[in-house]
Amino acid sequence: MTKQCKTSVDPGHVVIDVGDGAAIPKPSDKGLVSAWRLSFAGALIVLACLLYFKPDPYLRIFKFVPDGILVTFQVTVYSIALALVFGLITGLGRISRNKYVNLVASTYVEIVRGVPLLVQLFYIYYALGRLVHVPDLLAAVLSMSVCYGAYMGEVFRAGITAVPVGQTEAARSLGFNRTQTMYHVILPQAWRTILPPVGNEFIALLKDTSLVSILGVADLLRRGREYASESFQYFETFTMVAVIYLIITLILSKLVSIMEERLSHHVKR
Amino acid sequence: MVKKLVLSLALVAMTASPTLAKTIVFATDATWPPMEFVNADKQITGYAIDYMKAAGKEAGFTPEFKAVAWDGIFAGLAAGKYNAICSSVSITDERKNTMDFSTPYFKVRQALVVPVKSEAKCIEDMKGKTLGAQISTTGHFAVKKAEGVKDKSYDEVGLAFEDLYNGRIDGVVCDDPVAAQYALQNDKYKGALKIACIIEAGDEYYGIALQKGNKEDLELIDKGIKAVQEKGIDKQLLAKWIGGGK
Repeated sequence: MTKQCKTSVDPGHVVIDVGDGAAIPKPSDKGLVSAWRLSFAGALIVLACLLYFKPDPYLRIFKFVPDGILVTFQVTVYSIALALVFGLITGLGRISRNKYVNLVASTYVEIVRGVPLLVQLFYIYYALGRLVHVPDLLAAVLSMSVCYGAYMGEVFRAGITAVPVGQTEAARSLGFNRTQTMYHVILPQAWRTILPPVGNEFIALLKDTSLVSILGVADLLRRGREYASESFQYFETFTMVAVIYLIITLILSKLVSIMEERLSHHVKR
Repeated sequence: MVKKLVLSLALVAMTASPTLAKTIVFATDATWPPMEFVNADKQITGYAIDYMKAAGKEAGFTPEFKAVAWDGIFAGLAAGKYNAICSSVSITDERKNTMDFSTPYFKVRQALVVPVKSEAKCIEDMKGKTLGAQISTTGHFAVKKAEGVKDKSYDEVGLAFEDLYNGRIDGVVCDDPVAAQYALQNDKYKGALKIACIIEAGDEYYGIALQKGNKEDLELIDKGIKAVQEKGIDKQLLAKWIGGGK
């Protein structure tokens, strides 16, 4: 899993920004916008043709998986909500002046980023099973959010440190204490930088939820596998599953690009 | 010239090799103790593995075992990635449509495993409960057929037992020798799990699955299985792996 990987080399101000969420079709990137239109139209046409011309088995697969799509979304939405909370705490911890808080937050990030997500899923799922009896969906959500919380923490940290120091100085000189400065001055401004990568993480998380199928959570991929292993129509089923995932992520990446556009419009003025 | 000679010699050697023991590659999902599993020395072993080795000795073929995940094991057979499947495949009519089967080599029934404290007598008492099974095994089919029961499918039956042990599901349905292995013999689970009942769904038979139309390997395997049964080797294996008469 590659993550938001930001490298900046000082002299030339080179910024390499590679997220694994999805290729966000920014209006400035003409090639990607056309590619987005092409893949989106292509995916819809493929889907329509398959359903219309070969209803057996495609329509049957299409009718078999919707509850899986719902579970995929459930896991994604709950995980991202929880990951945001973990991320905010971690991000604040990472820039904290308290040595111990800082150490705890940094260690969490270090450990989580060093263990593959699939291994984390198994570990948390079965470790939780020993301690408390939680339903599988909750266990999946917890595992996903613990992992994404660490990445989100880095996003928060970057967003907060991107707010010019002058803002802190101004707020402090106006009599705000540190906490007030953070919550009333810094965070509201940091949101603007933080939101687009959060959207990106959302898409990355949606794709990564396919891993929870390994735990027996009945998500889109699991439903597909159940259908395929019974009907032996592996090619047809995974074509369908891939097209559905693609359409979902394409819609989401468009939404993220619109959101980015609105937020940066504000800056341009 | 020398090259050509070497080549033709190699060709002769290759065409001549069938007179030696033929190698048949068996795919196996080695997560199904005591039938087929990976032991502490990372070797694929078990009742079915020993059975096929004995059959090979009798019929003159060398079995080679390849570990393959259950999910997709049939797709691999259809794609010709291996010659046969030796992985506790129950012979069903649906499966017969897409593959050929050898003579049956083992009889099983579906067993329901529940926690020791459970009062459920059989699958009829599990309405509204969740039962786990390995994806698209005959156990999974039985769960899906049961009325008012929620099914949960796993990649491996061991993961289903772990979830049952941890209380996430209310029962597991699988082949009876496997159920016995987990519920009665496994050090960790025995005492915590029990076999509630044998589900009345008729007897099932394990067969070796082959690609449709693969007559040559089918005959060899059938010959081997027949010899093993006639010589009573299967009884010895039964005593070794499953214990006592059943």
